Amino acid sequence: MTALLEIRDLHASVGDTPILKGINLTLNAGEVHAIMGPNGSGKSTMSYVLAGRNGYEITGGDVLINGESVLELSPDERARAGMFLAFQYPVELPGVGGMSFLRAAVNARRVEAGEEEVDQLAFVKMVRAKAGELDINDDMLKRAVNVGFSGGEKKRYEILQMALLEPTISILDETDSGLDVDALKIVSDGVNMLRAPERTMLVITHYQRLLNHIVPDHVHILAGGKIRKSGGKELALQVEETGYAGIDDAA
Amino acid sequence: MPALMMQPDLSNVVVSGPVRTAALTAWQQQGWPGPRVESWRFTKLDRLAAREITPASSLSTATAGDGLAMAAGMGAHAIQIVNGVIDPASLEGLPAGVTAGNLSDDQGAQDAMMALAPPNHPVSNLSMAVMSGGLVLDVVGEVARPLMLIFEGDDASLSAHPVVLIRLAPAARMVMAEWHQSAVALSAPLIGLDLAAKASLDFVKIQSEGSTTSHLAATGVSLAGEARLTGFSLSVGGEMARLETHVTMAGEGADCQLSAIYLGRGRQHHDITTVLNHDIGHCTSDQVIRGVLDDRARGVYQGKVRVAEDAQKTDGQQMSRALLLSRKAEVDAKPELEIYADDVVCAHGATVGELDATQLFYLTSRGIPEAKARAMLIEAFLIDAIDSVEIDNLAQILRETATRWMAQTGLTTDGNQHG
Repeated sequence: MTALLEIRDLHASVGDTPILKGINLTLNAGEVHAIMGPNGSGKSTMSYVLAGRNGYEITGGDVLINGESVLELSPDERARAGMFLAFQYPVELPGVGGMSFLRAAVNARRVEAGEEEVDQLAFVKMVRAKAGELDINDDMLKRAVNVGFSGGEKKRYEILQMALLEPTISILDETDSGLDVDALKIVSDGVNMLRAPERTMLVITHYQRLLNHIVPDHVHILAGGKIRKSGGKELALQVEETGYAGIDDAA
Repeated sequence: MPALMMQPDLSNVVVSGPVRTAALTAWQQQGWPGPRVESWRFTKLDRLAAREITPASSLSTATAGDGLAMAAGMGAHAIQIVNGVIDPASLEGLPAGVTAGNLSDDQGAQDAMMALAPPNHPVSNLSMAVMSGGLVLDVVGEVARPLMLIFEGDDASLSAHPVVLIRLAPAARMVMAEWHQSAVALSAPLIGLDLAAKASLDFVKIQSEGSTTSHLAATGVSLAGEARLTGFSLSVGGEMARLETHVTMAGEGADCQLSAIYLGRGRQHHDITTVLNHDIGHCTSDQVIRGVLDDRARGVYQGKVRVAEDAQKTDGQQMSRALLLSRKAEVDAKPELEIYADDVVCAHGATVGELDATQLFYLTSRGIPEAKARAMLIEAFLIDAIDSVEIDNLAQILRETATRWMAQTGLTTDGNQHG
């Protein structure tokens, strides 16, 4: 079976500073992986490198989607190949209407798949249905993308995009940061609804609490730009008890 | 005046009355400003001054433009000004509350016009002296129907010098637009807006002149106590355009919102120059200027906010942002504060740059192709400014004009063609 996402000995630098120093990770269909790590371990860099953001130099290794290298692909091509990144800090787009943004994204995916573009009316219905489940009201949908949204609203809006785009590979970068307990539950429920045998998820987080809601199949500890330890969901609990220092020593 | 500069041929122009004669004398003494005049340092008139032009004197053929359709679309009464000459037929059936008069033989109105006009400005003097057409509009009460002045004309050997003075009586309210679509050599409108106490004017100007036209506009504004002006200019046409506006806050509580967008490509030159005189306290002014330039186009924003010594509690803001789509495009931004009072809130800022890389990454990370993502951000940059226009049909015209420019510049948010 070909992995949905395979990261092979990935090295990446920002300027002259190496951040990722040989990451190996294989995500198969149906699996949810969690990456935990202290601040500065390279978690966010990894999510940006996978999504293809400018400003990172890949100095070694490869990233493969369905067995094909995507390092030469632009961010939009990777997205249309099935990848989705839920941002830690969703970006405000003043003047860009929420509905036209969502529709442009969904239609880009559809055109790639050789499907018809969705018309405005059908699209509004589709968005309303999914937005309701994430407690996103019409007023939020009418506003410019992320403008005037609270921290929790921005995260819910990320999950709404994910639900609309139905990615095969979802990367969630610190989706729990800035969320209170209620918002965390809404966001987690939204993510869990998207768990499916044909999809995979990479949940990046600093804290274990998110993993009580989104229960991972595998947990990896990232520190100093490398995966230091991998295990099952119990590894997350161990981090909660001993902190990262203990884990790093154990490795 | 510099010897090389070609002057308009004034041999057939009849200048009558003391105000116009004085304006002619001032023009003859000063002529076109050269590069040594500080306020004209970024906008050179060599190309214009090298052309032989004759001031228009009679109504002739109009250009086919969007003006009439736009006026109809917003249910406005259109006043047509062809080659700078007012079409008398279009003064029939003015909206209730608006009365038209002839400025060319009204000394009092001419005096009032010169008091409003930007001082020492070549267009203030030349257009007052030559005055191809002169109009006074007096406005009382709440005018139900918008007014649109359509400036047209297709004779490329002519210069057009329309002079229009608009006076709003106390508490009068009006919505009006200026639509410039001529193909003359020089379009030099001199416009005066005199708002009495508590009068309110929503004003949109669209400069969509032909590709070889120079557009030099001088606009003077006076706001009495609690008068309110919301002005929005879109400069998109012409070979060279300078929209210069001088505003005097003459009564406490006056409020002036002045926004402008300039869109340039090829070798176009757009200049937005404003002078806001806070002569009296407790007034607010806010200027939002946005530009998008492609190819070798050039943009200039000069904005001066002057706060007099007694003008305490003044709030004066100005912010200019320009997007450059090409390495050869250029912007000169010069926001200026000249403050003599000590209890004021004034701020200015200017940024020039490319599209925000983080915003672009966010859009493309959702699968939106980069070309479309860029167009979406440029459109948003413009729409965000246009959204400050509260009159729906004016905002709609501005959005349509901006979108058309984007399409002509190859920036499209339609479709999903993946390159």
